[in-house]
Amino acid sequence: MASPAAVNCSGAARRILLLPTTTTQPATRSFPGRLSAVTSRPITTLPSTPRTKSKSTPKTQPPTTPPPQPLQTRRTYHSTTHPPPPSPFTQAETTLLTSALTSHIPTHGFTLPSLTLAARDLSLLDISPSFLGPSPVARLIHFHLYTTRTTLPSLASQHSDLLSGLSVSGKIELLTWLRLKQNEPIIQHWQQALAVMAQPSQVPVAVRELAMLADEIYYLAGDKSVDPSWYTKRAALSGIYAAAELFMTTDKSEGFQETRRFLRRRLQEAEELGGAVRSVGEWVGFTASAGVNVLRSKGVRI
Amino acid sequence: MAAAARPALKRALPSLRSSTFLPRQQQPQCHHHVPTSRRSLSTTPSHRNDTQPTTPSDEETHFGFSTVTTSQKRALVASVFTSVADSYDKMNDLMSFGWHRIWKDHFVSTLNPGFSPLSSTSPTSPQHILDIAGGTGDIAFRLLHHAHTVNSNPNVKVTISDINRAMLSVGKSRSAALPASQQAALSFVEANAEDLRKTRPLTPILSQTEQTFFDPATATSGLEDDSVDLYTVAFGIRNFSDIPAALAEAYRVLKPGGVFACLEFSKADKHPLFNSVYKEWSFRAIPLIGQLVAGDRDSYQYLVESIERFPRQEEFRDLIKGAGFRVSGDGGWEDLTGGVAAIHRGMKPRE
Repeated sequence: MASPAAVNCSGAARRILLLPTTTTQPATRSFPGRLSAVTSRPITTLPSTPRTKSKSTPKTQPPTTPPPQPLQTRRTYHSTTHPPPPSPFTQAETTLLTSALTSHIPTHGFTLPSLTLAARDLSLLDISPSFLGPSPVARLIHFHLYTTRTTLPSLASQHSDLLSGLSVSGKIELLTWLRLKQNEPIIQHWQQALAVMAQPSQVPVAVRELAMLADEIYYLAGDKSVDPSWYTKRAALSGIYAAAELFMTTDKSEGFQETRRFLRRRLQEAEELGGAVRSVGEWVGFTASAGVNVLRSKGVRI
Repeated sequence: MAAAARPALKRALPSLRSSTFLPRQQQPQCHHHVPTSRRSLSTTPSHRNDTQPTTPSDEETHFGFSTVTTSQKRALVASVFTSVADSYDKMNDLMSFGWHRIWKDHFVSTLNPGFSPLSSTSPTSPQHILDIAGGTGDIAFRLLHHAHTVNSNPNVKVTISDINRAMLSVGKSRSAALPASQQAALSFVEANAEDLRKTRPLTPILSQTEQTFFDPATATSGLEDDSVDLYTVAFGIRNFSDIPAALAEAYRVLKPGGVFACLEFSKADKHPLFNSVYKEWSFRAIPLIGQLVAGDRDSYQYLVESIERFPRQEEFRDLIKGAGFRVSGDGGWEDLTGGVAAIHRGMKPRE
């Protein structure tokens, strides 16, 4: 990268700067994992130095800098080497939705009156929630899903003494339970919310949030698998979580203990099923290789 | 009327072309043949008033694919909409296969005007809606119906504003079919959306030589700051000479918490195959339909060119944000029919 001194003198140094390869520089932000992602793009940003001398060479203006593209924000896994993706909610939205979630959801549920009353609390207008998009209510439910998922890491660190002694599967059970408990204040309205999120136009958002949640739980449980089971584990947990969430909406037991037993049974079944699949796979592999060896011993050239 | 108002546009065009228009070879799709035989059924003035107001900042802007000055654009847009006012509805149905009604219904129902949560103290709260470029009343009548009938809130008033008296007159006569309570909640004003401090109640067109577009010098009133709950503009902002100025005016007249909502044609290039079919339709079929049905090819040629010229969803969203509005985090707009049209929404924050 050219030093600022070289930039000051126009002419040759400026022409060098136009070559993208010579100007590629490491990102100045402090996330170590960004380097690989950032350096693959040529960086044409010039340092802001006085340009009084360059007026004599008007035709050699550097190309206009493209606005910096956000790094891949549609990532569906938890990355340790990237900053968390930016919130899908702007500041104005967050203020309004937080107010609705904390003050009015327990009374009015995930409905338009909740949002309108929240707008009045913030001395906005009855019409204000309609800036949230075509379905303000779905946006509110998405906000609940998003905030509960992003507060899970701090919840996990609060319970680190419980989590530290557990195996990975035990941690997954506890983390899933912690997430389910986050629905407790609004549980009487959660069926309604699930119905809204099951509408065809909202399914992509709901499925994406579910996948991100399963990934978050596996990440916090310390799962390090890098084989195809990465996908099957998360798919299985997504299914179990969704089922447990639905079970919880009709659970009247003290402290939702029935839900917790339901969750344990399902996780146990998934583990048993996974074990069975693994055993069958091992048996097939062993038998096939033994068969090949038998044929080889008979002189078949394979 | 539509057919004979066109000569005004025709007369305006060649003189402009000779001086400021782009070379013809740069705009091959502009090229069209002007038929020589025309029906003449005019009831509206075919002469543009020569005392058109000249704006102090007469900068260059776009009229379709052509480059004109802002005051020229204002006059040209006025002549376009004067000429299409009567056949406006029929043409919209033909051009969009009736789909524009779905867009408009969706636009209004997602804004949900007049909605109030039930409470013992104030069952419904009043709202003032300003429908800009709403001449024929398409959006305003829907807003009123939604507020008064769907949300049972009779305290909702709608002001229809347009720069063009011919369009407003069409809306005024169509409003006679509405229930009396809704008619009472409607008002029609002539105004330029770039300066809403100068307005005038709709005055009927009495003589054929009157100009149909609003002259700020004749203004008798104006819209105050922080006076509007909901500002809507449907298929209108594309025709404005100075879009940032109109957005700044919208910001000024809206109350804190008020919502800006814009339904406008946009870009469908996320779906290349669909887009190519759509482009064929708009550049070949729509001017032809305009010629056959409304007897006016130029106005509809302008329509498709102005759609092509309008900024992309992201750029327009940034213009809205630049005016001070807060938008939602899912992009700030909603594509309709793959992006052929888009709804942009923004809220004026309470500072």
